[in-house]
Amino acid sequence: MLTRRFILGALSAASLSIPATMSSAEDIYIPLVSKGFQHQFWQAVKSGAEQAAEEYGVTITFEGPDNETMVDRQIDMLAAALANNPKAIGFAALDSQAAIPLLKQADEKGIPIIAFDSGVDSDIPVSTATTDNQAAAALAADKMAEMIGGKGKVAVVAHDQTSRTGIDRRDGFVNRIAEKYPDIEVVTVQYGQGDHLKSTEVTKAILTANPDLNGIFGTNEGSAIGVVNGVQELGTEGLVIIGYDSGKAQKDAIKSGLMAGAITQNPVGIGYETVKAAVAAMKGEEVPALIDTGFYYYDASNIDDPKIAAVLYD
Amino acid sequence: MTSATDIEKKTPLAGLSESGAYQKLLAFASLIALLIGFSIASPNFMQTSNMIAILQATSVNGVLAVAATLVIITGGIDLSVGTLMTFCAVIAGVVLTYLGMPLLLGVAAAIVAGAFCGLCSGTFVAKMKIPPFIATLGMMLILKGLSLVISGTRPIYFNDTPGFDQISRGSLIGEVFPALPIPNGVLILFLVAIAASYILGRTVLGRYTFALGSNEEAVRLSGVNTDLWKMRIYALAGGICGIGGILIASRLNSAQPALGLGYELEAIAAVVIGGTSLSGGRGTILGTLIGALIMAVLTNGLRVLSVAQEWQTVVTGAIIILAVYADMARRRKTG
Amino acid sequence: MTKLVDMSGIEKHFPGVHALKSVQFDLVPGEVHALMGENGAGKSTLMKILSGIYQRDGGTLQIEGRDANPTSPREAQALGIGIIHQELSLMNDLTVAQNIFIGREPRKRFGRLNDVALNAQTAEIFASMNLSLDPRAQVGSLTIAKQQMVEIAKALSFRSRVLIMDEPTAALNDAEIAELFVIIRRLKAEGVGIVYISHKMDELKQIADRVTVMRDGEYVGTVDAAATPISQIIAMMVGREVKEEPLVPPDLSDAEVSLEVTGLCRGHEIRDVSFSVLKGEILGFAGLMGAGRTEVARAIFGADPKDSGEIRVHGQVVSIRTPSDAVKAGIGYLSEDRKHFGLATGMSVRDNVALASMDMFTGRVGVLNDGEISTTAKGYITQLGIRTPSDTQEVRLLSGGNQQKVVIAKWLLRDCDILIFDEPTRGIDVGAKSEIYKLLEELAGQGKTIIVISSELPEIMRLSHRIAVMCEGRLTGILAGGKYTTQEDIMHLATQRVAAMQVTGTAQ
Repeated sequence: MLTRRFILGALSAASLSIPATMSSAEDIYIPLVSKGFQHQFWQAVKSGAEQAAEEYGVTITFEGPDNETMVDRQIDMLAAALANNPKAIGFAALDSQAAIPLLKQADEKGIPIIAFDSGVDSDIPVSTATTDNQAAAALAADKMAEMIGGKGKVAVVAHDQTSRTGIDRRDGFVNRIAEKYPDIEVVTVQYGQGDHLKSTEVTKAILTANPDLNGIFGTNEGSAIGVVNGVQELGTEGLVIIGYDSGKAQKDAIKSGLMAGAITQNPVGIGYETVKAAVAAMKGEEVPALIDTGFYYYDASNIDDPKIAAVLYD
Repeated sequence: MTSATDIEKKTPLAGLSESGAYQKLLAFASLIALLIGFSIASPNFMQTSNMIAILQATSVNGVLAVAATLVIITGGIDLSVGTLMTFCAVIAGVVLTYLGMPLLLGVAAAIVAGAFCGLCSGTFVAKMKIPPFIATLGMMLILKGLSLVISGTRPIYFNDTPGFDQISRGSLIGEVFPALPIPNGVLILFLVAIAASYILGRTVLGRYTFALGSNEEAVRLSGVNTDLWKMRIYALAGGICGIGGILIASRLNSAQPALGLGYELEAIAAVVIGGTSLSGGRGTILGTLIGALIMAVLTNGLRVLSVAQEWQTVVTGAIIILAVYADMARRRKTG
Repeated sequence: MTKLVDMSGIEKHFPGVHALKSVQFDLVPGEVHALMGENGAGKSTLMKILSGIYQRDGGTLQIEGRDANPTSPREAQALGIGIIHQELSLMNDLTVAQNIFIGREPRKRFGRLNDVALNAQTAEIFASMNLSLDPRAQVGSLTIAKQQMVEIAKALSFRSRVLIMDEPTAALNDAEIAELFVIIRRLKAEGVGIVYISHKMDELKQIADRVTVMRDGEYVGTVDAAATPISQIIAMMVGREVKEEPLVPPDLSDAEVSLEVTGLCRGHEIRDVSFSVLKGEILGFAGLMGAGRTEVARAIFGADPKDSGEIRVHGQVVSIRTPSDAVKAGIGYLSEDRKHFGLATGMSVRDNVALASMDMFTGRVGVLNDGEISTTAKGYITQLGIRTPSDTQEVRLLSGGNQQKVVIAKWLLRDCDILIFDEPTRGIDVGAKSEIYKLLEELAGQGKTIIVISSELPEIMRLSHRIAVMCEGRLTGILAGGKYTTQEDIMHLATQRVAAMQVTGTAQ
């Protein structure tokens, strides 16, 4: 009957020993509250952040909800981060509006906020480190048009219909096609939640409905891999696939020719720039309002180029 | 007379009814132990603002867990609480933002929509005899889809409804006692819990909730219209999810249509940590409330301690298993 | 001759209970040793110690002359002790052979199952029992008696020398009991020792060699089964003599008809059943298992749908589609299976009493008046003599007889004047049985209409003013109660099968 009490006691004792190794009172502590955690992309952002943390001698934590719909969970994380009296906070908002009360609270305490990945619709963040997703997706549209010869049918497998990046990448691609390539038709935009399996099913459905399709654009890592899987399972040939971000599976698909190429952001750079800007803001130095962390198109020809290889992750 | 002594022997633990109180005490002790443990581990943990953050993090999950408790006591399960919450939030968004109706009407619409959906689940379970797991699984997906359809897959913001965000974020208590700015969302959670507790303990509906979970066939053969009562319980649970929808929409000042999946499991976890039996017939709202608080304290505390996120998940899972195991072990001893 | 089992001075404590006080028991090869006592006397505890489920706190246990200390059912099995529990523990969806060899299936290499060997070994065991049963038959499709045989075969497959049977005939009809006894006699002849736990006195006379009686966790005595009169055994069990007086049916010629059923039909289970019961009358329903008595009760009560038939209560035709309709018409049903159909066992005595009448205690907006529920429940606890520490006690902690009284209280409170009792004394010990009988008689005396369904002929004879007999879904006759009817008369009607009924047969 003492079981539970004992266990909890033991647990609290165990947790006591953890923070001792994580931070000491002298440390400068900067928490990063991200949009996600498990995906390779966010892990790459995390590694960039850790790199900067080491260079500048600060301690960071990196957290994000299990999936990109859990807006309230992200806010709970932000609240917990604030409780620790950090010197600065990095924040990638799932929904800017929802976070505003907490951001104000941080502002009142004089804690600078650096937005990363996607912007926060507020003037509280001193800086935003992000990719121009619209421009990046437009570049994907240009590459697609080039490869299918300026005419035909294409489809988009997007990761999300509500988040900023989902909307920007979809619109960036679709609008560029509409503006510049009148002979190309975007037959459908379908959503796979960035989940490999769901995106695979979505792709197969698109291909079944449109056997004469010329190309598909997958708007994030999970979507792109889903497209590749779907095409492989159906045995469709001659389709141009353009992906987004990297990861081992996508890199392999590009090397083997299954995928024509992909847009890569610079996730390591996003993490790095965020922490760098946070340190600067904390010291009261001037920080640019927008830090463009850049993007590239890569394919089998330049995948091993050191400049590209540096921003790709496995 | 032999049989009189017989009875004494067969019921050695005449104070067994006290075990319910004991169970709550145990759960409460665990909660206190966690709070003390975290306070010692981090000086930043025990601050008013962080305690309020914990309470606020409990509010939505707590309300959903209360709803789930009702259904679980009947021996059923409700997997749709999370997406039903979202659906109700979206309905409130449609009524308030798209139709521009007054605040109270939006709140009422969300609760009515929740009760109606609950009634649907209840009908599937009671009248169509679909197992609760399946019926509410179906409902979960239907509601997720409908939320996306109705909202046009975009978040609906409540910027045009002044005061809406105050439902959850504002603080009536804080106005009276400025030192204690407990958000209204938390107040609402406690009101919902008190009401649900009263319904369970003092009303026919509550008594039948336990009776159905204890032995549904016996209740039916007692001439009770079990189908009708079951539908009422599901409808009540649905209405409570509607309140949860209002709380989360108000807190985010928006209805996020893609939200909701996964919340049902956290609600169920809070329910079982609180000592409610998944096989029905036993459970308390107070236990559920403590269960939800334990979950919130645990996640917040581990975060404040900067424990890596991977390990937070591991610890939460372990706590669920340990809590239920401790409860089972205790029950085997006394039972 | 070495004793198979020799237990002496066995002690067992549970928290707050001294469950066994220096109990002794022995078993020799080839005998059936009956173990008797009221519920809670300690029989099951003793047998659980023998079969390794509980550990004894004191005393000695010898198996075939050697000290033994089985600490798990598996170890007991290895010592040659098999137990067949009252509640069968078979997996309905598996075949007979799969059930018998569960956990030790014959295997081929790489963990593949050898179904041929499995079925062959099962067939061998059946052959040794002289039992014709297909090893591939699904257990769920068998009758309870056949399932019991499977349990016995399972116990024998461990080469058990000692077989413990806990109320093996509780769910069997007379023909099936006869079948079981054939098997038991064969096992005896092979030198197996059998511990036989039962409440049924007539069975003891048929099958047992010796009888050991326990009371309140104590050893009372061991007597020869054939030479000892039943009344003496009962006296040993209850510590007092229980007298049975012959029934004299009251004169009800002036009483009004309170329930009239005509042309009740449902599938093959109920075929054109018509009867009526008078106010203040106890109508017994006799018949073999599966004769359709419970089905008739459930159809009248609306628990199962009926195909056709008219039910009149006090002369008025009533439409009963659900139990709730029946209750409104004043009909209450006390199921044979109290735990599954009668009681919410995890709830308190008071809630169970009020279960059918919650609206009586409900104020506006559905708030319950718990004080009133408590007062009412306490009233019934006194009136019916329900032995419980308090009205908030959980029902599952009460004995069978007291649980039955709680169900009766539930219907009395609902003010039902027609009460259908289905096997009212099943699982209730001898002393409590006569209390239930007295209660039923009092209720009839107060003008309630009582229907009693029972598989125990002595019970039917003891209670019924009139006796309705069913066979294969038909009502084959209604006999007068009391001394004018013999058990043979009833059995004659109960076995009057289709061929004899063809002339009047009306099914569909």
